[in-house]
Amino acid sequence: MADEKFDAIVVGGGPAGLTAAYVMAKAGMQVIVVERGEYCGAKNVFGGVFFTNVLREIMPDFLKDAPIERNITKRRFSLMTPDGEIGGDFKFDRFNKDFSNNSFTVLRSKFDKWLSDKCEAAGAMIITGAVVDDFLMKDKKIAGVKARMEDGDLYGDVIVLADGVNSLLAKKLNFHKELDPKSTIIGVKEVIGLSEERIRDRFALNGNEGAAYEYFGYSAKGAIGSGFIYTNKDTISVGVGATIASMLEHKLNPNDVLEAFKNHPTVAPLVRDGEQKEYSAHLIPDGGYKKLSKLSGDNVMVVGDAAGFVNATLFHEGTNLAMETGKLAGETAIEAFKKKDYSAVSLSQYDTKVKNSFPMKDLKQFKNTGETLEHNPKMFDKYPTLFGDLVAELFTVDGEPKWNKEKRLMMKLLTSENPFALLKTMIDMRKVII
Amino acid sequence: MKQFTSMEDKLGLNKFTAFEKTHLSIKPGSDPMVVEHKLFICPAKVYELSDKGVPIVSFENCLECGTCRVAAPDEVEWAYPQGGYGVTFKFG
Repeated sequence: MADEKFDAIVVGGGPAGLTAAYVMAKAGMQVIVVERGEYCGAKNVFGGVFFTNVLREIMPDFLKDAPIERNITKRRFSLMTPDGEIGGDFKFDRFNKDFSNNSFTVLRSKFDKWLSDKCEAAGAMIITGAVVDDFLMKDKKIAGVKARMEDGDLYGDVIVLADGVNSLLAKKLNFHKELDPKSTIIGVKEVIGLSEERIRDRFALNGNEGAAYEYFGYSAKGAIGSGFIYTNKDTISVGVGATIASMLEHKLNPNDVLEAFKNHPTVAPLVRDGEQKEYSAHLIPDGGYKKLSKLSGDNVMVVGDAAGFVNATLFHEGTNLAMETGKLAGETAIEAFKKKDYSAVSLSQYDTKVKNSFPMKDLKQFKNTGETLEHNPKMFDKYPTLFGDLVAELFTVDGEPKWNKEKRLMMKLLTSENPFALLKTMIDMRKVII
Repeated sequence: MKQFTSMEDKLGLNKFTAFEKTHLSIKPGSDPMVVEHKLFICPAKVYELSDKGVPIVSFENCLECGTCRVAAPDEVEWAYPQGGYGVTFKFG
């Protein structure tokens, strides 16, 4: 393929890259996707809920054959304490009528492969088992990429970098600095086999309904992090994540944190007797708005995790931000293709589109979340313990008159912690949550 | 159902195809104690110190997350493994 030249080269076959490829191929561009795994999805890991608002837009009939595990109708949020949890959940049947919540559990090795098949059907070329290390330059401009293989030089007019969170390629272009340990989460998870019937019974679900349980507070052995359980068809995904800086500070290994989470008294009965299937790890860019990469330059655009598009707040969205930025890069490339102008000025249309998109607006709204959590480490240790004690005592039936107990617990709350610091943390938490 | 908790057993669940050459190394001249001070964070426990205090890098167990390069950017030399090699997630 040495002398072949493509209209577009996409590096990385995840949701961002494949969406860009799909959009461009549909418009008649010659597109090649270069994926380092054995197949698209082979290297890809996430928690488990794929948000399909963008997929629905570009492929309205995706539900016909997409490898969906379960339709999430129930979400639960809990504040974990060392020996318990204070939680709340919601579940709506309306989500079963039209799937309007666009929230499905998927397994990435199947789902990304399916998306890559759709790209191929749309006319894109996909090569797998090829890792890209560098760019090919011509007249000081990017003219292609260098894959680490025989005949690995690929030429193209526009390069879409969708090489994931580590994005060594965007770093090479100085589009972003090295990932910051404070705003990079290491997530580990296990996929655990359970029968469909058990999953329905344990999580109180009907048919193909699914549940997403999120655990905050003391869920990562005191590190700044959270835990999750998502139900797939006949497996569950169980994981934890915490910032690298916080894991280092607490001298924690992610697997030990995961083991502690699985053995927590509130989690253990949900994972009991399951058959472990896989253990995986992946980074999550948690820097949000403030740490986003430069998005475009001459002949190049950066999409998805590679640019830092993850909303790691209460909402835990990522794949939809990836697909939206991939779509916008694809649309920009189509306009550039028509004008035959791939200059930085032409591709800066991508920046403009992103600025007005939901990923950017959401990240902007929550731009202080990471720092706020970092400044409130007690939310991951001391405060959940205190709140747990208060709730446990309030509901301990021991003959103490209620008015007395309530007064006593209020005093306990006000004297055990600096009430102003506690109040400030509560106000901070409200801002980062909704 | 037997539960696997050791790293060796857990990694045994995964599919790995090791390439002949490592894609990870400790940069020459680095303090080997970085293994104990920082690289304990590796989710696959790829980095260990030998009895003589020399770093051992079991690259064939790497989950390719990148945590080590972010935790110790000055000491870890990190690249993606050869295309098609390394871990292949069956679920993901």
